[in-house]
Amino acid sequence: MKRFMIVLMAVMTAFPLWAGTGLSDMKWGVRLGYNIGGTAPLSMPAQVRKLNSFTPTASINTGVDVRMPLKDRWGLTTGLHFENKGLKAGITAKGYHMALVMDESELEGDFTGRVDINVKQWMFTLPVMATYTLSPKVMLKAGPYVSLLTNGGFDGDAYNGYLRQDNPTGPKVEMAGKDGKHGVFEFDDDMRKVQLGIGGGADWAVGGRLGLCFELSWGLLPVFKSDFKTIKETLYPIYGTIGFTYQLN
Amino acid sequence: MVRIPSTDSEVIFTVRRKADVSSLAPRFVLTPGATIVPENGSVQDFSHGPVKYVVTSEDKAWKREYQVSFKPMTRMMKDTLEIDFEDVESETKNGTYYIWKSRNEDGTLGNDWSTGNAGFYLSNSKAAPDDYPTTVLAEGRSGKGVKLVTRDTGTFGRWVKMPIAAGNLFLGKFIVESALLSALKATQFGIPFDKRPSKIEGYYKYQAGTQFIDKESKVIDKNDIADIYSVMYINHDADGNPVYLYGDDVFTNSNIVAIARVSDLKNTDQWTHFEAEYVYQKEVDLDLLENYGYSFTIVFTSSITGASFEGAVGSTLCVDEVRVSFSKEE
Repeated sequence: MKRFMIVLMAVMTAFPLWAGTGLSDMKWGVRLGYNIGGTAPLSMPAQVRKLNSFTPTASINTGVDVRMPLKDRWGLTTGLHFENKGLKAGITAKGYHMALVMDESELEGDFTGRVDINVKQWMFTLPVMATYTLSPKVMLKAGPYVSLLTNGGFDGDAYNGYLRQDNPTGPKVEMAGKDGKHGVFEFDDDMRKVQLGIGGGADWAVGGRLGLCFELSWGLLPVFKSDFKTIKETLYPIYGTIGFTYQLN
Repeated sequence: MVRIPSTDSEVIFTVRRKADVSSLAPRFVLTPGATIVPENGSVQDFSHGPVKYVVTSEDKAWKREYQVSFKPMTRMMKDTLEIDFEDVESETKNGTYYIWKSRNEDGTLGNDWSTGNAGFYLSNSKAAPDDYPTTVLAEGRSGKGVKLVTRDTGTFGRWVKMPIAAGNLFLGKFIVESALLSALKATQFGIPFDKRPSKIEGYYKYQAGTQFIDKESKVIDKNDIADIYSVMYINHDADGNPVYLYGDDVFTNSNIVAIARVSDLKNTDQWTHFEAEYVYQKEVDLDLLENYGYSFTIVFTSSITGASFEGAVGSTLCVDEVRVSFSKEE
């Protein structure tokens, strides 16, 4: 966290100097928005037969933005956002490969049945984006971001199904019903603390100091650490944000 | 309809002695999407031995072979059942643990014996055959014997509140499907039988493990002890539906006819004789007996409360030369 704050402060201070402009040119704003999207593989594997439910959770995106005009229509924006990239989803899987790894024990096989997943990723995000003013009302932006997770959770329940150990011809083991305990999984500790990605979007000045923002953030690092093998598919956080902005100066 | 445990690749239907098995059309219920060759429900000749069926997965990437046979009942002529634990094989798919074969009087081998080894495989798939709960005793009282050891099931076992796996060997089927969800239903006891047992005896050695733990892995001040018992029961209900005993009712099911339980097992490093008489709670119907209306099980376990995952890791029961004597029927 400390290292993150140093990076943030460095960026904030270096910004005006690098831009060659004074502090007075900087435009400050606050935002309140909502994240919606998924922590998902880039393409759905054939083993996922059905999406039974998809419930966005309280995925708030709030924070401070600062923008600095550079040359002509170009500018640079950064800020600090506090946000959650969460979701709740229920799928029906057939032969979905998974491994429960616990210290020296490992139960690996193909799960057929229903899986409910609950993801939360509360984080501080620092974007650095180039801006281009398209018209007095519309500004486009794109650039990388870095996020630091303060509270990550990936848990769920595998139920109404069975596991074929090792491969689809292996021993068949029934897994718990909805209120059972055996199918419950929790991979909080396997989540990466730092996420990197690219984002982009548009700001639209509605009138006065009020505006709307639309953004898309695309994680380039998998949400899980590289030594995590339980879920075979690599999951990336891909979220869209829609929100209000308010210009402070 | 018969449920085939997923660990079995050999499917044996036992039929009456004079049944014609030259044109039968068994029907198989498969995993949705899977296909079977020869065609499901097609007529096959089982009179020359097993017929091979191949089941292919929905995506065609996986195949599994099954040997299906219809075998006439072989009537036991002797008045003593001799169990010497000599016929041991490696589990066929991966060779990871031992399985025990029963020996019919005509010299053929059967699948009457089961162990919980398939359940231990769930918790520790990398264990060597001799590190499983039910293993071979290379030097038994004569030839080989069986060695049952209560094992630690590791992190995964503790997580599912099954911290130990007692060594066990029994007449019946181990249904691995139930091993996680309702473990007491995983041990399905009994094989059809046409004799009236009177006494079970044999030889054992026992050493209790030092630390007794409960299913929460908490240490309890208690000494572990082994269990050897045998139960005979009526294997169908009033409507003719099959009845089995399981871990949760092997001493209490209302179909039970007789129980023999060895009561005085103790720690001993010498081969020690054990015996127990069958105590009959019900009259035996001889017609029913002749028609295999009764089933019978023998159970050996290294921890008496092992079925509820309580016991001492390291408890070791060795057994050999078991004999079950039968009453002569008039």
